Amino acid sequence: MRRCLKSSALKSFWCALPIALAVGASPPAGAETTGSYLAGLHRHELLGSMIPANGDQNPYAIFVAPVSSGAIKAGDVLVDNFNARSNDQGTGTTIMDYNPATKQASLFASIPAKLDGCPGGVGLSTAMAMLKSGWIIVGSAPSTDGTTKTLGQGCLIVLDSNGKVAGTITGPEIRDPWGNMAVIENGDAASLFVSNVGFGIGAPGQAPVRQATVLRLDLKIPDGKPPVVTRRTVIGSGFAAQPDASVFLIGPTGLALSGDGTLYVSDAIGNRVVAIGEAATRTDSAGTGREVSAGGMLKRPLAMAFAPNGDLLVINALNGQVVEMDPKSGTQRGAQWIDSDAAQNPPGSGDLFGIAMAPDGKGFYYVEDDANTLMLAE
Amino acid sequence: MTSRRGFLGGAGAAAGALAALGAPSMAHANAMPFFGPHQSGIATPQQSHVFFAVFDLTTDRRDDLIGVMRDWTLASALLQAGLPVDHFGHDPAEPDSGEAIGLNPARLTLTFGFGPELFTYQGKDRYGLAARRPAALVDLPVFPGDQLQADKTGGALMVQACADDPQVAFHAVRQLARIADGAVTLNWTQAGYSSAAPNGGTPRNLMGFKDGTMNPNTADPKAMAASVWVGPEGPAWMQGGSYMVARRIRIALQHWDQMKVAFQEQVVGRHKRSGAPLGKTSEFAPLELDATDADGNPVIPANAHVRLGAPAVNDGVEILRRSFSYSEGVSFTAERWPPWRQAMEYNAGLLFICYQKDPRGGFIRIFGPMSRLDALNQFTTHEGSGIFACPPGAAKGGYIGQALFDAA
Repeated sequence: MRRCLKSSALKSFWCALPIALAVGASPPAGAETTGSYLAGLHRHELLGSMIPANGDQNPYAIFVAPVSSGAIKAGDVLVDNFNARSNDQGTGTTIMDYNPATKQASLFASIPAKLDGCPGGVGLSTAMAMLKSGWIIVGSAPSTDGTTKTLGQGCLIVLDSNGKVAGTITGPEIRDPWGNMAVIENGDAASLFVSNVGFGIGAPGQAPVRQATVLRLDLKIPDGKPPVVTRRTVIGSGFAAQPDASVFLIGPTGLALSGDGTLYVSDAIGNRVVAIGEAATRTDSAGTGREVSAGGMLKRPLAMAFAPNGDLLVINALNGQVVEMDPKSGTQRGAQWIDSDAAQNPPGSGDLFGIAMAPDGKGFYYVEDDANTLMLAE
Repeated sequence: MTSRRGFLGGAGAAAGALAALGAPSMAHANAMPFFGPHQSGIATPQQSHVFFAVFDLTTDRRDDLIGVMRDWTLASALLQAGLPVDHFGHDPAEPDSGEAIGLNPARLTLTFGFGPELFTYQGKDRYGLAARRPAALVDLPVFPGDQLQADKTGGALMVQACADDPQVAFHAVRQLARIADGAVTLNWTQAGYSSAAPNGGTPRNLMGFKDGTMNPNTADPKAMAASVWVGPEGPAWMQGGSYMVARRIRIALQHWDQMKVAFQEQVVGRHKRSGAPLGKTSEFAPLELDATDADGNPVIPANAHVRLGAPAVNDGVEILRRSFSYSEGVSFTAERWPPWRQAMEYNAGLLFICYQKDPRGGFIRIFGPMSRLDALNQFTTHEGSGIFACPPGAAKGGYIGQALFDAA
């Protein structure tokens, strides 16, 4: 194991322990995983700035385009910004498009800051997905002063593949869509999974409120027309959420759907990952689900993604690490410093948010909010 | 209002004093020549102090503006020689303020620049100069992270007073302001200092790193012509001049002071003590930007300050940096990066000053990517800004900017 070698990639050290085995954490016998995914990753490449010409910053969501459509090429990396030029959280309105072939980032969408059908305005969150039909759906958890004191209800915004707003999705079940989306697609139907964290949230200083939900939206996608919501089902509820003077909101953030239909949810305040079974089909709420793993290397877990080996990769908020865990057993296999920016303490704290696997499975994309950049670990 | 300064009254006496300047006995060893093909204070070896002042004009009369430049030219020649400027001003009973009496000139240089507001102010062409505004004197774009304050930004007339004695530098600006009273008003000022080691070498900024290693050689006319002096590509009245971009950059020093040196070196891309590029031992060792470690990660990080400023990644562009540090009390500050420190913090940082033949291919070219990617941005906030066309130097009998007014 190498430790804290001088980095080359970023501004600090990669505590190059690509894998830091947790105390007492060895892969369980019979686990599907055959080895650590993170252990094979060594390079951390700065792909580009996610700041568009209008000065938006604080990149949150990452989604890799599944198809070519309109202005988007398959494999492009879409990244949205949560802050406007003012650096006020909950005011960002732009989505960037990074093309891995050209290595260029360009503005994909600039959404009006005030949008009919999106109560409270626009502040693009980590909830973003692109459907194979070309539609992009992105969440808004808006504020007007950068704090939850002015938190609006928000909405889901539907964009066409040229970045034009095609509609909004709102309603009593939707309250500040927040975490990274999980998606199931089946021809002209789709299901979106999104966490809603704004219920009962007031100004910073408030104690945690256990009203956050995980919502499944079943969609019908008429040929050439925007998706239509056919059913709304709260499949998870009672998650804790809390306003925060520094990081705006803390609540359930990461959603990752496994092949067996289990939806994994990162419960940031509970510092754990939970599982909701039969997520695609259930018609009731599983409450806060079944606890899969808690504490250990998790430090306020955020966005999540499945690695090719079946492990869950979980982004930490309170340090610059991504944690690898076996979703079946909950065993935390290890963690890697992907942002060891020592300007924060611990290094990288507050810098990470979104994650998305590269299509070839050889690495993953992540954002660094300290530098407003898109990165690739491989 | 009328802005009649004592220009006419002072001119005769000043001319006499100027004539005397030619006598060897009058030339002080620490006096920098004022007249010449280029303004002083650009290629001049950097002094230890600056008093930077930006003025707005309160007159709409072109003749008043010309009078100011004539007065300032004559007065500056005297000030740089270490002489008082008693004969300028409204009232003979209000002479030179006197705090430089008995002080040597301390290598004082006075450098003048014209801001965009000189050419057009609130849409109005006050002096018939709008058509003469050089294409290179662009309005600076808004850069990511800018938190520019109106009382530290812009302006019509810039005076950069540099000297090895802060009192001499401030004195000079005070005299120029006094002389032009009624025609100009102070917009913003910034005092600063730059302390080089006794044995010379590249001075260090408040972050403790050498700042200016990759500057063009000011003693090499070819290097200066290539990157600093305006050539035939510019308007005739600017040839031999240069464009200044000034930025008041607050630095979160308390935050920086908590950082390990090794981390600071990754941010800057140089070793702190030697100034050498990471992995090297000599300050002037070439940057090997393609060097990687065993994992393929760059030795000089992708967002290291020195990489982003390197000519190799900026189409070969070089600018002449001539910056000064400042520190002036404390104020409540909310940093804009994780961990979002909020505390009483030093009002301190860098008065970044650079000269180039065209800001579009100079500062703007370099700082565009830097404003987006530089790891140093976590500690810096640009609070003030200005861009100025600094005309060539004046010949004796002429005045700074004369070719502009003669042409317009």
